[in-house]
Amino acid sequence: MEKNKTGKERIAGYIYYVARIGVLLSIVMMFFPGLNPAKICDFVNKTMSLFTSGISYGSLTEQCVRAFNQGWIQESSFIILFISSLITWIGIAITAVMGCMSIGNLKMKRLGNWFGIGGALVQMLGLGGIYLAYTQVAATTRPEKVMPNFPLQNWLFFFVIAVVVLVTTLVIQLMLPKPAEDAKYEMESKFKLFLMFLPFAALCFVFSYLPLYGWRYAFYDYQAGGTLSSENFVGFQWFTMLFQNEATRSDIVRVLRNTLVMSGLGIATSWLPMAFAIFLSEIKSQRMKRFVQTFATIPNFISWVLVYAIALAIFSSEGFISSLMVNSGAWEAGKNMLMGDSGHWFKMLAWGTWKGVGWSAIIYIAGIAGIDQQLYEAATVDGAGRFQKMWHITLPGLIPTYMVMLLMAVAGCLSNGMDQYMVFDNATNTNVNMVLDLYVYKLGIVNGAIPLSTMIGMVKSVVSVVLLFLANTISKLVRGESIV
Amino acid sequence: MAKTLQEKLDAKAEKEYYKKHKKSYKLTPGDIVFNILNYAFFTIFTLSCIFPFYYLFINTISSNDLVSKGLINFIPRGINFDNYISLLNADEVGQAFLISIGRTILGTALMVLASAFVGYLVTKQQMWHRKFWYRFLVITMYFNAGTIPWYLNMSMLGLTNNFMAYIIPGIVAPYNIILVKTYIESIPAELEESAFMDGASYFTIFKKIIWPLCMPILATIAIFGAVGHWNSYTDSLILMQNAPELYTLQHRLYLYLTTTTNLGALMNGGVSSSQAEAVMQTALNAKVIKYTISMVSVIPILLVYPFMQRYFVKGIMLGAVKG
Repeated sequence: MEKNKTGKERIAGYIYYVARIGVLLSIVMMFFPGLNPAKICDFVNKTMSLFTSGISYGSLTEQCVRAFNQGWIQESSFIILFISSLITWIGIAITAVMGCMSIGNLKMKRLGNWFGIGGALVQMLGLGGIYLAYTQVAATTRPEKVMPNFPLQNWLFFFVIAVVVLVTTLVIQLMLPKPAEDAKYEMESKFKLFLMFLPFAALCFVFSYLPLYGWRYAFYDYQAGGTLSSENFVGFQWFTMLFQNEATRSDIVRVLRNTLVMSGLGIATSWLPMAFAIFLSEIKSQRMKRFVQTFATIPNFISWVLVYAIALAIFSSEGFISSLMVNSGAWEAGKNMLMGDSGHWFKMLAWGTWKGVGWSAIIYIAGIAGIDQQLYEAATVDGAGRFQKMWHITLPGLIPTYMVMLLMAVAGCLSNGMDQYMVFDNATNTNVNMVLDLYVYKLGIVNGAIPLSTMIGMVKSVVSVVLLFLANTISKLVRGESIV
Repeated sequence: MAKTLQEKLDAKAEKEYYKKHKKSYKLTPGDIVFNILNYAFFTIFTLSCIFPFYYLFINTISSNDLVSKGLINFIPRGINFDNYISLLNADEVGQAFLISIGRTILGTALMVLASAFVGYLVTKQQMWHRKFWYRFLVITMYFNAGTIPWYLNMSMLGLTNNFMAYIIPGIVAPYNIILVKTYIESIPAELEESAFMDGASYFTIFKKIIWPLCMPILATIAIFGAVGHWNSYTDSLILMQNAPELYTLQHRLYLYLTTTTNLGALMNGGVSSSQAEAVMQTALNAKVIKYTISMVSVIPILLVYPFMQRYFVKGIMLGAVKG
């Protein structure tokens, strides 16, 4: 196929790169609020991107209700704005079809070019509509309230790309020879497979990689609803604040202490599931074994909220224990054992163990089933007792699995997750209960200190990745196998 | 292949040998004590996993008067189901129940479809830069940007106060993709190749061959995915701040539970008696309400639980073989 290419086709191939890059840029940029060409006045939400402006009329006009009622803006202008945004991004989507078809054979390329031309024209039409909406809004009687402000840079950005795509596809269309009469639409299978994969790669990018772009908030003095600009760029101010500000520093120290204590307790008791499995395998009755395995795994499948519901039902002042004690006359009034911070770390450890031990034991139970029975038989013949067999055969058989689990636990020691600590949190224990994940949530979402909490989360992510690498290296050195 | 006579005889002799030795193995007093302790421990632990659910259940179906006096501890009395009926008629809970059911069904279905398809695609050696794209997916399991950047990202995409926020981010699940990929690689390649020779497209092969053969692993990831969807509440908590009608059932339950805890804290803090009485009244009603919502949100899990069990080992063991 490559050999048959004429010189013109080769040049067309280069021009295609320009078109594809243009399409890709406009697709990415239509999701960024900072580049929204539809932000034509102050009433348009700052967090709206071109895509969201064209998809949710409700949030586009969220702040306009008063302006509509007062007659500052005609609602029809916003309907035009909404439809134009929709048309613009539909145009971009059509040019994306061109981008995909451009990796097919000649016949497919030629069809794709029509999509490119059409899509670019639709995009221009939409941009024109946005300008129309702006002229209507700009004609308002109360400009000081509406603050019409045409986002020329953003608008030009999209317009120039539309022009580039239009011109390049037109040129390519003229350059490419006509395909043979009997040609079919075809594509090499490697590209076909890739195109089928592409939507999922895009989803993965948007939800797993794109959030990394949010790390930039850590370097700005940002308030919710505000914007990022060179004026509020503060560099590493938040980072140094972690260490210099007295209150923040004591907060961080306390939170880190709780996090590391909870993880440390978890690591110190990480052999429990293994012991659970070993002792369970010592039970000879199959029925009893199945009974335990069936019900000991239930807690793993209920949410932490439900664990808390159970905690309340059993340990609160009107729960099971209190009722029993009060009705039998042992206590005068019910006690709420969930209040207060005495032994809180151990309580949390107990809940975590109760929830997880039966489930974590499964991997060890499977491991025990995989140990060669002849080892046990040989040991029996040699006169080994039950505990000797447990200690010298079962345990060594499980240690490799345990090492992997242990290293993973060490690598994840900063991430306790917030679910458990969130539900058990109350005013009397928050001092010992606040772990890093919960702190970040409270700081960022509840108190709105977005830059500081982003900075903390960022440091945490980096440290976690480093720890994982270390754990992996140790595993490679010691066991000759990697864990990730 | 049938065993030869000699092999059969050998096996028999071996068995008898061990039988003889087993007989000579006597239970020492230490063994007996150990057995008793072992059985006792596992019995108690297992009961601790069952009893709370039983306790919640008997309290929701007993007469509310007795419940408020704390008299229902082991045996239900005055059985009725009024609590459940009145609860599901309450708009808030009914709505939350529908949201949870909706996200569980839709989210799981899309996740399973996507995992199966992507799992199939990444087994294809001829895909353009397959290795790179596979790593591109897998690497996301080992890092995340953090809660706040994730939240900002979701709000930038218009996925706050929006039902789709429960569904779309969960579609591509790298861990499940790895499970499916590993499974497909264990299927004999000839099945697929013969279909390919007959001119079937990738999509047809996926639909007609891969999909039916993958049913066991797809059932596994479907069950784990569904439990995850049903149980999650932090996404509801963070993303649906201005849309109470989109709260999941677990989020609702969380709100009910913590509100009453606050009432309890208020009482301990010493308030005037009339106030305390009023608080007491609501707290007692709240107790039954809390228990009933808890049961409503746990019953679906307990119902599918027997069917899930046989997939446990498969799910947890396959994950150990990555690559």
